[in-house]
Amino acid sequence: MKKLIKNTMAGVMAAAMLTSLAACGSSGSGSGSASTTSTGTAETSESAPITGGTLKVTLSEEPGEGDALGNALDTWAAETGNTVEKIIISHDDMRTKFPSMAKNKDLPDLCATTFLHQLYPDEFVDMSTVLDLSMFNENALKLVGKSYTSDTITGVPEQYTTTCIFYNKDAFEAAGIEAPTIEDPWTWDELYENAAILQEKAGVKYGFAADVSRARYDILMYANGGSIVEADGDTFKVTLNSPQNVSTLERFVQANNEVMPKAIWAGGTTDNPVEYFKNGDAAILLSGSWNYNTFSSEITSFDFGVIPSPMGSTCQSAIIGGSALAIPKDAENVELAEQFIQWLYGDDHSNYQDYLQLHKGLSVMNDVSYQPETDKAKEDFAIMQNETNYVTDTFMTDEASSWRTYKDAEYRDALERAVAGEVTAQEALDTFAAELAEASGWEMAY
Amino acid sequence: MTKTKNTALKHTGAFWMFVLPSLLLFTFFFMIPLFLSIWFSFTNYDGWKTMDFVGLKNYITALTNADFYKTLGRTLLYTICNLPFKVAIPLLLATLVTSKSLKCTTLVRTLVYIPVLFSALVAGITINWMFGQEYGLINFLLQGIGIQPLQWSLNPTLATIVISVASNWVSAGYYMLMYIGGIKNISPDLYEAASVDGASKVQAFFGITVPLLMPTTFIVLLLTTVSSLKEYALVQGISLGGPGTSTTYIVQYIYDQGFNQYKYGYASALGILVSLVFIIIAVVQFKATKGGEI
Repeated sequence: MKKLIKNTMAGVMAAAMLTSLAACGSSGSGSGSASTTSTGTAETSESAPITGGTLKVTLSEEPGEGDALGNALDTWAAETGNTVEKIIISHDDMRTKFPSMAKNKDLPDLCATTFLHQLYPDEFVDMSTVLDLSMFNENALKLVGKSYTSDTITGVPEQYTTTCIFYNKDAFEAAGIEAPTIEDPWTWDELYENAAILQEKAGVKYGFAADVSRARYDILMYANGGSIVEADGDTFKVTLNSPQNVSTLERFVQANNEVMPKAIWAGGTTDNPVEYFKNGDAAILLSGSWNYNTFSSEITSFDFGVIPSPMGSTCQSAIIGGSALAIPKDAENVELAEQFIQWLYGDDHSNYQDYLQLHKGLSVMNDVSYQPETDKAKEDFAIMQNETNYVTDTFMTDEASSWRTYKDAEYRDALERAVAGEVTAQEALDTFAAELAEASGWEMAY
Repeated sequence: MTKTKNTALKHTGAFWMFVLPSLLLFTFFFMIPLFLSIWFSFTNYDGWKTMDFVGLKNYITALTNADFYKTLGRTLLYTICNLPFKVAIPLLLATLVTSKSLKCTTLVRTLVYIPVLFSALVAGITINWMFGQEYGLINFLLQGIGIQPLQWSLNPTLATIVISVASNWVSAGYYMLMYIGGIKNISPDLYEAASVDGASKVQAFFGITVPLLMPTTFIVLLLTTVSSLKEYALVQGISLGGPGTSTTYIVQYIYDQGFNQYKYGYASALGILVSLVFIIIAVVQFKATKGGEI
C-alpha cells in the first residue's frame, strides 16, 4: 500500500511538472507587449468633433523617432485634443493576443495589422462606410485591405510593400558585373550564375540571400508559371506539387547549396539574412521594399541599389503586401478611430503625404507618392514602384482562395525540410499539398 | 471533552490556514488548466471561435501521425544521451567544490551557479554568440588557427550537441547545489575509516560518496529527465528546431501545433498523450532506482 501511494505520488509529481508547462504555454513566444501614451495639447479643430477621447491603438513595431504612423497619431492627437495609447504587440503575437482581447472585451480602437482584418472580417468595420475608397490604389485595396473570404474592405491600406532585390554596388563593380535594368532584366539562372561570380571575384561570402519567408520564395514559383492553387469553377484545386513547382524548389535547393547561406533556409539558425547583406557578406538580397530606409541609414561601408526581379521561365513576378488600419466593431471608441482615419487620408491628402515622406515607402493612394530627395533614391524607387506591375494572376488567384486560412506556417516548414535535405523537393511539396487539400476540402490537381 | 473539541477545531483551522494558499494556487494553476486541457483535447478548439466536440478524433490523429512518433523518438533519444552528463557533471563539480584541496570554493560555486539565473532565451543568445555558424566565437577561433569552421547550424548532430552543451551549462549549477547538500550530509568518519583501511580517494568516491548520494541522484535523475523531455526555450533561442526538424522536440512540436497552427484541441490531445508517456517514464525510473533507497 505504502509503495502504491509512493508510486502514485511520483506520478502526480511528474504530471504536475509537465502540465505546468501547458499553463506557461499561453504566454506566447515571449515577445510580450508594451504600452505608451501621448497626449495632444492643441485645441480641437472644426473637422474633429470628438475631443478629450483616448484612442487605443495596437502597433506591431516599437515606434521610433522616424515612426511614420506613430508620428501621425501624435500629430492628430495634438491637433484634435485627444489622447493616443499605443500598445505594441509583435507581429507573431497578434494572432493569439487579438482573440484574447476580444474575449476579455478589451479591444483596441484601431489596429495596424497585416492580417487580422482579413482573417476575422466579421470583427471589423466595413471601411467603405468610413471613407471614399476610390482614392486608393486598386491592388492595395484588393491585397492589403480586403478580407480573405468576402469583397468587404475591412482595413484601409497604410503601408504598401513589394518584394524587391537589393544589391551591393561595390561587389558588383569588383566582380565586373553590370546591374540589370527594367528594360533588360536578368533571368533567375543569370542571377544564380552572377551570384557564383560574386563569390569568386568580389570575395563575398554568399552571392545571394533571401528572407526566410514563403512570400519571398513564391516569386520564384510564380515566375516559373507555378501556383499554389488553381480556380476550378466556384472552388479550387491544389497545384502546389505541380512539375514546374517541384522543379523550382529543386533549383532553389541547389542554389542554397551553392550560392546562398544554406543554414538560414534549412531552418537551423536565428540569423537574419538582412544582416548578412548589411555586413557585406551577401551581395544580392531578396527582401521587402520596406528595408530601403533602414539600408539608407545603416549601410555606410558600401553603396547599394535595387535591381528588377529576374525573369523566370514564364514571367517576372512580385508579391505585394502591407499593413492596414482596421477598426474592431466592438471597440469602445469606434467613432474616434474613424475620425483619425478620415484625418489621415482626408480630402487634400496632406496628412498622408507627410506620413509618406516620413515612411519613405510606396504610396497606397492614387494621387500621392513619396518624393525622394536624391537622384539615387529616385532611381531605386522607380524600380520598386515598377515591381508592383509584376504581380501575377496566379498570385491573385492564390490570394483569392484564402489558402492561408487552412495552412500557412507548414508551407515554409516543408520548404525548409527540402533545403535541409530531410526530404526531396517532390516529397516536401506532395506532403504539404496533401495536407492543404485535406484541410481545405479541395481536390489535388497532381 | 469540549476543550478537546476546541483544540481539535483549532488544529483543523490551522491546518487549513497553512494548506489553503497552496491549494488555491494548485487549483488555479494546475487543476483548472489540466481539466481544461483534457476538455480541449476532445474538441477542435481554435483559440477563439470554434470549439465543437470531436470525440477521440484528435487522439486518433495523433496516434496515426508519423511526425508525432518521430518527434517523440527524437526527444527520448536526446534525453537518454543527455542524462549521463546531466548527472555526472554536477556530481563531479560538487565533489570538486567540497574538496578541501580547492581554494576559492565560494567563487567557483558562484561562477558555476550563475548560468542557472539566466533565462533560457538569454542562455540561447549567449550560446549563439559562441556557436553561431557565421559570426560565432568558436568558429572565429577555429578559422584563426586554420581549421575549417564547423557547420553548427547545418549538421543535425552538431546542432544537437550545441543544445546539449547549453542545457548542461544552464542546469549544472542547480544540481551541483543538490549534490553539495548530499555530500555535506555524509559523515566524515566514513572517509576517515576508509582512509585508515588504505582506500584511495577514487575508491572512497565510488565506494562511499556515490552510493550514499543515491537518494540525491534519484531526484536529480527524475528532474533532469523531465526537464530534458521538456526542452523548449533553449531550442528556440539556438536552432529554432532546425536544421529541418532535427532539433524539434516534443514540446516545440506541441507548441507549433497549438500556437502557430491554432489547433489548440489537437495540441491539447498531444499534451495529454505526452504527459502519460512522461508519467510512465517517471514510474519506471522510480521502480528501477527503488526511489533512491540505499
